[in-house]
Parts: sequence; C-alpha cells; structure tokens
Amino acid sequence: MPVRSVVFAVVLIASLIFFVANVTRLVRLLRTGKPANRLDHPGVRVRRMLRIAIGQSKLFREPIPGLMHAFIFWGFLVLTTAILESIGQGLSDGFTLRFLGPAYPVLAFMQDLFAGLVIVGVFTALYRRLILRPKRLAVEGHGQGDAILILLTILLIMVSMIGQNAVHAVMTAPDAGRFIARAVQPLFAGVDVSTLGTLYSIFWWMHIVLVLGFLNYLPFSKHLHILASIPNVYLANTQPRGALAPIDLEAEGVERFGVTDVEDLTWKQLLDGYACTECGRCTAACPANGTGKQLSPRKIIVDIRHRLMERGEAPTAAGSGNEPAQKTLLHGFISEQELFACTTCMACVQECPVSIEHVSSIVDMRRALVLMESNFPPEVQVVFRNLETNFSPWAFPSSSRMDWADGMDVPLIANTPDAEVLFWVGCAGAFDARYRKVTQAFARLMQQAGIRFAVLGTEEKCTGDSARRLGNEYLAQTLMKENVATLNKYNVKTIVATCPHCFNTLRNEYPQFGGTYEVVHHTDFLVRLINAGKLSITKEQAAGITFHDSCYLGRYNDIYDAPRSALTSIPGVRLEEMERSRSRGFCCGAGGGRMWMEEHEGTRVNIERTREALALKTDVIATACPFCMTMLSDGVKAEGASDRVQVKDVAELLVAASSKET
Amino acid sequence: MKILIFAEQRDLQLKKHALEAVRTGRALADQTGGEAVALVIGQGVKNSAATLAGFGAHRVLIADDAKLAAYSTTAYAKIIADVANAEHADVVLMGASAMGKDCAPRAAVRLEAGLASDCIACTVENGEIVATRPVYAGKALTDIRISTAVKVLTLRPNVFSAGTSSGATATPAPVSVALTDADLATVVTGTSKSAGKMDVAEADIIVTGGRGLKGPENFGMIEELAGVLGGAVGASRAVVDAGWRPHEEQVGQTGKTVSPSLYIAVAVSGAIQHLAGMSSSKYIVAINKDKDAPIFQVADYGIVGDAFEIVPALTQETKKLLGK
Amino acid sequence: MKLIACINHVPDTATRVSIGADGKSIDRTGVTFVLNPYDEFAVEQCLRLKEKNGGEVIAVSLGGDAHKETLRKALAMGVDKAVLLKDDSPRDSFAVAHALAEYAKAQSPDAIFFGKQSVDADDAAVGPMVAELLGMPSVTVVVKMDVNGTDVVAEREIEGGREVVATKLPAVFTAQKGLNEPRYPSLKGIMAAKSKLIEEIAPAAVPARVQVTAMRKPASKNPGKIVGTDVSAVPELVRLLHEEARVI
Repeated sequence: MPVRSVVFAVVLIASLIFFVANVTRLVRLLRTGKPANRLDHPGVRVRRMLRIAIGQSKLFREPIPGLMHAFIFWGFLVLTTAILESIGQGLSDGFTLRFLGPAYPVLAFMQDLFAGLVIVGVFTALYRRLILRPKRLAVEGHGQGDAILILLTILLIMVSMIGQNAVHAVMTAPDAGRFIARAVQPLFAGVDVSTLGTLYSIFWWMHIVLVLGFLNYLPFSKHLHILASIPNVYLANTQPRGALAPIDLEAEGVERFGVTDVEDLTWKQLLDGYACTECGRCTAACPANGTGKQLSPRKIIVDIRHRLMERGEAPTAAGSGNEPAQKTLLHGFISEQELFACTTCMACVQECPVSIEHVSSIVDMRRALVLMESNFPPEVQVVFRNLETNFSPWAFPSSSRMDWADGMDVPLIANTPDAEVLFWVGCAGAFDARYRKVTQAFARLMQQAGIRFAVLGTEEKCTGDSARRLGNEYLAQTLMKENVATLNKYNVKTIVATCPHCFNTLRNEYPQFGGTYEVVHHTDFLVRLINAGKLSITKEQAAGITFHDSCYLGRYNDIYDAPRSALTSIPGVRLEEMERSRSRGFCCGAGGGRMWMEEHEGTRVNIERTREALALKTDVIATACPFCMTMLSDGVKAEGASDRVQVKDVAELLVAASSKET
Repeated sequence: MKILIFAEQRDLQLKKHALEAVRTGRALADQTGGEAVALVIGQGVKNSAATLAGFGAHRVLIADDAKLAAYSTTAYAKIIADVANAEHADVVLMGASAMGKDCAPRAAVRLEAGLASDCIACTVENGEIVATRPVYAGKALTDIRISTAVKVLTLRPNVFSAGTSSGATATPAPVSVALTDADLATVVTGTSKSAGKMDVAEADIIVTGGRGLKGPENFGMIEELAGVLGGAVGASRAVVDAGWRPHEEQVGQTGKTVSPSLYIAVAVSGAIQHLAGMSSSKYIVAINKDKDAPIFQVADYGIVGDAFEIVPALTQETKKLLGK
Repeated sequence: MKLIACINHVPDTATRVSIGADGKSIDRTGVTFVLNPYDEFAVEQCLRLKEKNGGEVIAVSLGGDAHKETLRKALAMGVDKAVLLKDDSPRDSFAVAHALAEYAKAQSPDAIFFGKQSVDADDAAVGPMVAELLGMPSVTVVVKMDVNGTDVVAEREIEGGREVVATKLPAVFTAQKGLNEPRYPSLKGIMAAKSKLIEEIAPAAVPARVQVTAMRKPASKNPGKIVGTDVSAVPELVRLLHEEARVI
C-alpha cells in the first residue's frame, strides 16, 4: 500500500471517528428530550420528505434564493458521487467509477453541471449576504462568519474538484461530459508532467481535506442543518397542524408542566434546533416581529439549540429553590414578553423550509409560565377568570348566550334530537353585538336553505381555544372535556361553526378528548349549500371586496377557496387579493390569545394589516372570523376609513344577496 | 319608638347623609309616636350639632372629647352603643358611609341588635320597621324585618331626603365620655384627599370619552364633567391606543373592569371589548351621535347627538343641581 | 403569624339574578358560584404576610358543601388549611359572624382577614362583627397596609380619599380592591388542593336577628331609553339621574 493511501486511510478513519463521535453526542443530546412518536404514517413522511426536502418546495416560495439553495443542495447530492470517487482514489490509487461504462460520461456531465450550479449558487449567496443584505439574513453573533466560512469552503471544494478534473484531463484524455473541466483545461496546457502530477495531488488533497473538514465542522455550526434537515422533514408532525399536543394532567408524580428548559422539550423539538440554519424566513413572515416586537421565531429555535449545547447532557436539577437560580431556556434565553407576543398564526411554520414547528415550542413555554409560575400579562387573568366562571372570555353571563336568537325561532338541540347539524355559535357569536349580526345572518341563510339545525344554547361553553393557546392547558382541558360531554350526550355528528378558532379546536383538538365530529366552517357550509342549489344568491352587489384570510382557517386548515368562492358567487362582486393572501396571509393580530392582550410593543398588527387592505381601495373587507372582524374593524376606525370601507363577514354579504331576503 | 341617630361629621361639618338620617329618624319617630335624638361625636362639635334640630331632631346629644377628634372605630362604636343603652333607644340610625358601615356592625353587636345596612327605604308597617336594602349589587331588593329589641339601620346616602332646615337650633347635651386605651384600639392618624385624579377602578361615577371626541384636546370637557360629578375620567381602548389618554384610564376587557353607580359614555361606540369592562355599572348613560351604536343597547339613558354640545350643557345643568 | 382568611362562596358578579320560588332568595339554578372577589384580596394578603413573616394561613368558610369548591380555590392559591363551618341553613350576618368568631377564638390568630363585603348580601357587616365579638380592633375597606411586629398602619378608603389608621395585632381587616393583586393558582397548587382534606366543623345554631321577608327585582330599568336627540334633552337627563336613578 502506498504511503499516500496509508496516510489518507488514517486521516479518513480519524475524521470519521471524530465525526461519528460528534454526531453520537448530538444524538445523545436529543435523547435527553421527551418522547414523541414521529414514525407513524411512513408513506406520508416519505412523500413529504421528497417534496419539501428533496424537492425544496418551501424554498421556492422565494424564487431566487430558492433556486440558489436548490443549486447548492442538488449539487451536493450529485457530487456525493465525486466524493466517493475521491475517497476511492485515496484508498486505492487509480480508482475510478469509469467501470460504469456509458453511464460514466453522463455522471461526469452531471457532476460538472452541478459543480457549476453550486458555484453560481455560492456566488449568489455571497452576493446576497455581503451586498444585498436582506433583513432576514441578519444573524446574531458568529452567524455571518459561520455562513461565509461555509460558503468559501463549498467554493473551494468545487474549485479543487474542477482543478483536479482539469489536470486529469490534461494528463490523460478529457472525460466526455466534463465540459467545465474541459473549459478550464487550457489553464494547465504546457505544464510539465511531474508538475501536473503534483498539482493533481494538491487538488485531490485539497478537495478531500476540505470535504472531511467540512463534514467535521458541521456539528459545531448552524450548518448542522445539512445533516438534520432531511430527517427533520421526515419526522415532522403528521397530526393536524392546528392541534396542540395535550398534557396528561393526571399523570402520577408529574410536577412539571410545560417547557422550562430543554429537557422538557421533545427530542423532535430539540431536533428543530439542529435543523435550523437561521435563514430567517420564519421571522420575516412573523407578524409580531414585523411590527416591532421582540419575538423572533428564528431566535426561539436557535435559543433551543444554544441552550441544549450549553447545558450538555446533564439535565438541569429541578429547582428546589435552594441552589443558585439556573439560567434555563425560559427566562435565561427566552422572555415571557417574546412568548406572549406570538399570535400563533403559523406563518413561521408555513414558511420554514425544513418543517420546524415553532408554535408548539412557544405554546409549551407559555404552558410553563402559566401552569408553573402563574406568570402572564394581567389582562389574561381576567380571561381565565371569565372562562372559569362564565365559560366565555368576556364577563357576560352564560344565561344570555341565546339572546342573539330572540325572535328568530332557533331550536335548541335538547328539543331537536333529529337536527342534521349543530350550529356552534361561539362566544363572540353569542355576546358581541357586532358579531351577533353574523350569527343571525348565517342562521337566516340556513333557515332559507331549509337546514334542520339546532344550537346548544346556554349549554355551550368556550371551546378552550384561547385558554389552550395562552398556555392554560388545565382550563382548556376542563372546557374541552365539558363540551365533549355535552356534544356526546346529544350524539352530535356534524357541527358547523362560524368562528375559525372554535372550528379548529372542535375539528382538530376535540378528538384528543373523545369528541370526534365532522366539523365544517360556515363558509365551507355555505358554498355547499350554494352548489347544491339550496341557496339562491341572486341580488347583484356591485362591490369590490378583498378577503382577509383567517390564519385558523387558512394555514391551520387549508381552507382558502371556500370563502372566496362564496364571495364570487354573489353577482357583481369583484374580488381583489391583497399581496399577502392565502398561505401567505398576514395575521390580524388576535390569534393565540392576543385578542385578550394589550399590544404595547412596536406598532399594531391589525393596523399593518388594515393598511394593506385599505390600499386596494375596495368597498368591503371581507372576513370569516370574529377576531379578524374585531381587529380589522378597529383598524378601519383607527385609520379613519369607516366611511369608505365596511368590514363584513362572508355570511352577511351572502344574506344581503340572497333572493329570499326582503 | 325612640330613635337615636348618629349624625356623622367630618372636619366639624355634618355630612349630608347625617341630615338625611336625622330627617328619616324624625319621620319614624312621628309615625310611631316616639322621639328622635341625634348624637354627634367629635371634638368641638357643639355648634354644628345644634343645627340638627332644624332637620327634625327633638334632642341633640354630643360626645365631645379630645380623644374623639379623630375617628376611632372602636371608640365611636362604644359611644354609640352606650348612648343607645342609656337612652333606651329602640332604633339606631346612621348613614351608610365609610364611617357608618365601619362602626355600625360593632355597635349592633354591643347592643345585641339586628343590623340592616345600606337601606334604601325604611317604613313602618303595623308598628314595625320594614327596611328595604339592595343585595347582589342592586340586582335584587330585599325587605328586612329585625327581630331584636334594638335595631340598627344604616341608610344609603343620597337616597333619603334631608329636606331643608327649619332654622331651629337645639342646645346639645353632652354625654359623659369615659374611654380606656382599649376603647381606642384603632385611631385615625391622618386622612388624605384623592390628589387630583381619581382612580377609575375605584370611582363611583365615571365619565368615559371615546374616539368620537376626535382628539386628546377635547377631553377637557370630559374632565370637567367628571370633576363636577366627583367622578373619574375613563377612556376607551381606541383612545388609549391612539395615545390620547394614559392606559390606567382604560375601561374594558383589557383595561379596568368597573361597576360604578353611574357610567357616562361619551362618544364611545360600545365595542364588546369596552362593554365587557363596564356593562355591570348600575346606571349607564350614552351620548353618541350614531343611534345604532351598541352602547345604546346597554344604556339606561341615551342622548343621540353631538357630544360637543351635550357634554358642556350637562356639566352646566349638573352644576346647577349640585349648587356648585 | 397565624392568619385566618374568612371567605364566602357567592354568585359570580356577571350572573343574572332571578328570584327563587320562596320569594325570599335567589334562584340558584344555572348560577355560577365563585370565591367572593373581595375575599381574594383577603386570601392574597394573608399569603403575602405569611411569605414575609412565616406562619400559617387558614381559610374558613361557613356554608354547605358547595363552599368546599371555594375553599379549594383558597388552597390552590396557597393557604395551608381549609375549614368548612358546615351549615346549609340561611344565616344572617350576626349568625355568620358568631360562628366565625367561635372558630377564630380557639385559634388565637394574629390577624383575621375578610373581603370588604360579600357580593351576595352586600352588607359589609361580618368582619367588624367578628372583631367586636372577639374584642379585637377592626379596620375596614383597607387598600394598603404595613405590618411591623404587632403595629399596623393601614389605609382605608373613605369618601373622596383615604384614612390612615393605626392599630395593633391581633386585629380584623377587611380588604378592598387595590390592596394587592391576587395570584392565579398554579397547576401544582390546583392539583395539591384537590387532595387536601377540608376540616368540617358544625357550628352552633344562633337565632336570627334579621329576617328577609321578601326579595324582588328592582323596578325594571329600561335599557335603550333615548332621552332625546339633541342638547335640549340635557335637563331631562339630569332630572332622571337625580330623581329616578338617584345617582347624582
């Protein structure tokens, strides 16, 4: 065995040992997390991995950076073959993949093509980082240096590989397909053979050392995502996105609830930290961050990684109060102000190219704040109390829940066991004078369509959405279990809800507590009625309308078309889209319990969204959610636009256009 | 019946509710063929006590002592009870003020008397006193009979009429005051007037301004009306968000939850977030130019019109009424 | 310090009140009962005093088994012990005060706290009555207090201001909004409260001194009454506020 091969074998084995040791350490760190079942539905997982990870689908939501990244990523996949070939050469002089025969030139072409694309990608990336400097790429600490180092390493790996191929081409015959090597070849024309041999060795060593160095640098860098992101996409949540994981409150001996430190997170939430490369798409899409709040979903995920690395494998001692206060993830890295700024709008999760789940970690930390520390903004306590005593976030008596239906002949489910659908009115629908009009409009439409529906009346309680997202899992579960008992008592099969928050919780979270129903949002329900010919929407309403997507309808439940087709079913309606619409829709600012909190920091989310809507100069801003309606109505008033634009629910617009309406 | 009325004074000024209590005591005495005796406690109270005859007191007693210059729950309760015993009073009346509510229960225990507090009506039926008092924050009223020999009633201020003085005066008769240290177990060492602004959460009258006032400069008239009424200024969320008023004045779901006796909402539309914080107020007045504003649905009295005309007029009219 | 918080189980303030079949009390169906809001300030003040000075906090409530729910709330907030003076029958203020005083006497507490009033009967009488029965000083409607050894300086709310009151422990205090911000129980507290034993004591019967002979709804207000549509309505509005509502 030649000395070179021995030396290389030693280098290779040493770096592999070092790499495996570091990866093992990372895996051991993950194992300090709580269990999570992320191996179900393998078919779904594989398809999603192919689409999101291999297909880079999320990255293409921003075409230029998306293409840039895809060049580098796909380049890496293709060039793995070149690396294998190099390793082979190192161990056995003269090893090549040429035994592949006619496939080899194709492989060679692909390698050169992607090497070229990687170089284009790297220069684009450097240009963006150093010249364009988009806001979302601004990273704290060593992030920028880390990124530049990685980019330069990738560049040099490419350069050395091309150099090696070019020299090889001069020394022997150029491989068919290696068009870049051939283009570079003239640089080495006329160099004598021994120098060429040396150059070849230099390029080879450079290439392989950089590759091995790169590999071993990854576990210490934000570029750990190169290793972690594909698994992270595979292991991403397959449950409905809108469902938060329940806490087992009856578990024996458990005295810690929610997430105070990294050991309270699941291993998958820890893996999110590994998978993040700080691209900032989440933070760029975050309505809280965009309006000047401290919250940055990227920082939350990066903090998880930093805290995990800092803590190491020994879990933090459960605070008995005597030892000096430890700097935990919560408080030490992430403040309650950040956590309570989140509207749980899911824009971060939607945008993340590697399927990181920011919102569940945020809510888990809120849970610790609420359940362990009773630490939350004072106005939230009012909500908890009202939910406990009046079963509504507002202090209105439960006994007035049916007041909206005065004079409307709306039957109670208790007296209507054969009702085909239960209309879930919701607290806003029952108590908010403004939203009662929506409740009444929708009820009238159902009556016009001849739907035998009924309501729970005073038996209805808040679904628990706000309490759950505010972190009060105990209160949320109490409400959810009570509602499930009521719904199951009446053997309810189908529920229609006007409020997307009620809708999401009933649909995606009630199954956790034994309540499985077909749950339909009223916009969806209305479209079905229109399509079935049960509603005749004939009165022309010449109006420009823009539809504001509710996060809990759109990103949470993929309902984008129903409200739009309901609106366009109205003759004369001109639907105009805001720039940020559908899965890019910008939150109204009320989700995640923000509806019940003051907004002291930065500018107001609802104003930002209202301005975007007002810029279209439509006559109507249409909504399909009571919270959105409140936030946008407030925004329209604050912008002094009440006299030129109305905020209306889809049901109100339909009832006005219904032929049966007098 | 013999009626003893504890007539409260502060800074040697008889309180209006004291006059109301004396007038009511006299009415009860007249209906039952008895006597109304007024008692004033303090130091140097002789002159003001003398005027109680003008409001119907047959006789006026004073407990006048340096030790009584400042209010003491224990000492005042003891003196009221001792005088009631000495006078063989059947009924003890006083205003349901901060002081009256504080010492009446103790006096009642000393007298082994039943207590009806915060009464809004007090009549004689078949020679027996029937008191009416609100319960559940005024959501219900109860009629009360007291079965003990001696009865203590406190009367809600501003409900009973004091009438005007006949001008008669009496010569107050001093009662002996013998107080031990134990009787002075609590002593008021000072008082402070609410400096300037009253806290909206604690105020009994609130005047709230909304976005319809168009700008922070227009809150002057709200402050003036609140000042005349002795109430606090409130603000809607929109007004606070706009930076016109400080957050501590905000009434609503995310601000203060209030339930004053009188809530005047000026140019407030009444979004649910606001209603959630004030709809349990006893009386709500809405002034808004939009007749469809939800605030009218919860208001007891509404004026549909321009706040910029109505509020100054309301201030003037209130001043007239209160003689300010 | 040994501290007693006397608490009551009352209809939530948002409840709609309707009169019961006996015509003397409210109809309790569909009514949510809560820890009396002012009593929360009392419990909180006890907890703060204990946290500062050490000792024990006992929550006591007089009533039927339903009061256990409210006692559990106090336990969840952090009181050490809960005692139910079990008596389902209606009692007037004195009878309640008597039972509480009898219990407290045996405990020799340093201070007893109440809410400034219970939002059912609203008579603000039980606290000072207990004090009188025990021969302790009392300070009502307290919005601020400093305890230094056995010396207490408290501020109580009076018309248009505050009164500073000096007294000595043991004493009775009734708490007003503003005294503190009551804590929200942690889940750990709620779970622990579920398994704690609530001591039950049968208090002696005490003859009623006051009888409710009738209960009725006040003359129905007429929400939505529009007094007028311009400035000319102002005198009528003032008259209504003065004569009908009697609020000015």
